[in-house]
Amino acid sequence: MTKKLRIYRAFLSAGMQEVSTYRVNWIFYMAGNVMACFVSYFIWKAVFLSGNNNSLNGFTMSQMIVYIFLMFLTSTMTSSGGTYDIGEEIRDGTIAMRMIKPISYNATFLFQELGNKIMTICLLIIPMVIGVEAVRYNFTGEVQFEITNFLIYVVSCVFAYLINFFFNISFGFIAFVIKYLWGANMMKNCIVGFLSGTVIPLSFLPSGLEKICLLLPFASLNYTPVMIYLGIYKGSTLLYYLGLQLFWVLVLWGLSKLIWKISTKHLTVQGG
Amino acid sequence: MIKVENLRKEFKKTVKEPGLAGSFKSLFHPKSERVVAVNDISFHVPKGEILGFIGPNGAGKSTVIKMLTGILTPTSGTCTINGKNPTENRKSYVKEIGVVFGQRTQLWWDLPLRETYGVLKEMYEVPDDSYKERMSFLNEVLELEAFITSPVRTLSLGQRMRADIAASLLHSPKVLFLDEPTIGLDVVVKDNIRKAIAQINEREQTTVILTTHDLADIELLADRIVMIDKGSNVFDGTISELKSRYGRIRELHLETNTKNAEKALGYREHFHFSDDDLKVEQEGSSVKVRFNSDTVSVSDMLAYTLKMVNVKDISVKDADIEEIIRRLYRQGV
Repeated sequence: MTKKLRIYRAFLSAGMQEVSTYRVNWIFYMAGNVMACFVSYFIWKAVFLSGNNNSLNGFTMSQMIVYIFLMFLTSTMTSSGGTYDIGEEIRDGTIAMRMIKPISYNATFLFQELGNKIMTICLLIIPMVIGVEAVRYNFTGEVQFEITNFLIYVVSCVFAYLINFFFNISFGFIAFVIKYLWGANMMKNCIVGFLSGTVIPLSFLPSGLEKICLLLPFASLNYTPVMIYLGIYKGSTLLYYLGLQLFWVLVLWGLSKLIWKISTKHLTVQGG
Repeated sequence: MIKVENLRKEFKKTVKEPGLAGSFKSLFHPKSERVVAVNDISFHVPKGEILGFIGPNGAGKSTVIKMLTGILTPTSGTCTINGKNPTENRKSYVKEIGVVFGQRTQLWWDLPLRETYGVLKEMYEVPDDSYKERMSFLNEVLELEAFITSPVRTLSLGQRMRADIAASLLHSPKVLFLDEPTIGLDVVVKDNIRKAIAQINEREQTTVILTTHDLADIELLADRIVMIDKGSNVFDGTISELKSRYGRIRELHLETNTKNAEKALGYREHFHFSDDDLKVEQEGSSVKVRFNSDTVSVSDMLAYTLKMVNVKDISVKDADIEEIIRRLYRQGV
C-alpha cells in the first residue's frame, strides 16, 4: 500500500509541477473562469431587475448571487479534464506509452490531476471563500460562515470530484470508438452543465424533472455541495445526499474499470 | 523465452470515397472493411538473443511489437514471453520488459529528465542502491550526465532517444523491445546507441527484439533476422543464411575510360540477365556492376568484362545485406 502511494505521489508532484511550468496558461485559464462567472452575475442581475418580484422561484437576488459565486468555486474544485486528456492520448496514440508501465492507467490520471488541483485550491480557495462571504455579508449584514457546513462542503466536494473524474474517464473511453472526442466533449459539457445546476439552479426546474435530476450523478457534482455550503441540506437530508454521492462514486468507479477492460480489448493505436 | 504462435490481428477500417462528395457520403454511410495487419506469424526467440525484426513500411512490424508488449490484443494466436501472456496480466508482465518506441517518448515532457527516472524507480520498485548503480552504469554507456537536469522538451532527438533507452533499462528488464531506436539520428549517436545495446545484451543476457529500417543496425547487432511482409513471415534465420538463400549478389567495381560502359559491355544481351539480377551504374570513369552470381559465375563475368572494355582497375566484393533486402522488398517474395 505504501509502495503504491509512493508511485502515485510521484504523479501528484508531477501534476503540481505542471501548473508551475505553465503558470501563464493557468492564470489565463482561471481569469477566463472568473470572467465567465461575472458574465452570469450580470445576466442574473438583469433578470432580477427586469422582473417585478423580489424573488424568482424562491431565490432572492442576493441568494442568486451567492449561488453563482459558490457554483463557480465548487466547479473549480470539482472539475476534471479526464475526458479531454484521454481523448487526446487516444487520438495521437500516446496511450501506448502509459500501457507499457506497470501502473493503473486511471490512477495515474487521477493523481496527476489531483496534483494540479491541489495547486489550484491552495491558491484560490481562501480568496474565493472570503469573496463569497463578503457578498453574503454585504446583503445580510451579518457573518454567515459556518465552519461545520464548510468542512462537510469540502468532504462533499471530494466526493463530487471523484464522481466527475470517473464519469469523465468513462466518457473519455468513447474515443476508442469514435477516435476524436472534441465534439462529443462539447456536447457532454453542455448537458452536464445543465443537469448539475451550474447554468440554473435545479429548483427552477419543474418538480418532476427536478426530482429526476437530483437522483442523477450530475446533481452530486455541483448542486449538492453548494446546498450543503448554504446550509439548506441539513440533518437526514444531508446524510441522504452524502450517501447518494458516495453511491455514485462507487458506481462510476466500477463503470470506469469495466469500460477500461472492454476497451483495451478493442484498442487500436493510431499513428505508427 | 519468447514464443509467438500463429499471431493474427485484424482491424476495422473506414473507407472514404474520394473527393468532397465521398466525404459527405462517408459521413452518413461509413463503409468499413476488415484489414488484416498481421497474418499468422510464428517465431521463437531464445534468451539472450538479439532478433532483428524487419520488413518494408506497413508490413505489420509495429503491430506485432504492440501485441508483444501488451498494448494490442491479438485477434487470434498466442504470444508467450517468460511464460506470461502480455494481455492477460498486463501490470505484472510489463515489469519484466523494457520498451522504446522511437517515434514516441515515455519521458515526462515537462519535467527535468531526472524526475522521470525518479518516477520510474518508484514504478518498478527499484531499491535505492541498485538504482544508483544502475544510473551510473547507464550514465557511462549513454552519457546522460550533460542533460539530466534539463526538461525533456528541450532535449535534442539524439539526447531524447538515449534518455528513452536508459528509461527502458532502468529496471533491468529481461526483454527489451526497440521499435526503430535509431530513427532520425546522426551517425555518431547511432553508433553509441548500438554499442550500448550490444553491451547491455552481453552483460545481462537481455533478450532484444529490434525493428529498424537501418540495416546497419541489423548487421552490427542482430544474431538472427525475422522478416515479414504484408503481415506474414518471409524469412527466419541468420544473416549468412539470408545471404546464401537469396541469391549471391556480387559487386564488380571497375575503372575504365570507356564513356558508356553499360552499352559497350552489353551484359544483358550476352548473359540474358533478368532485370533484378543486374544493375550497372557509371560515374565518370568508375563503374559499379551488381549481378547475381548464381546466374553467371564471377570468373565468366570477369573474363567477359576484361575482353569487352579497357580496364584500368577491377575488384569484386560481396554485396551487402542492404542489396539483398532491397531485392526482397521489391519482389515481395
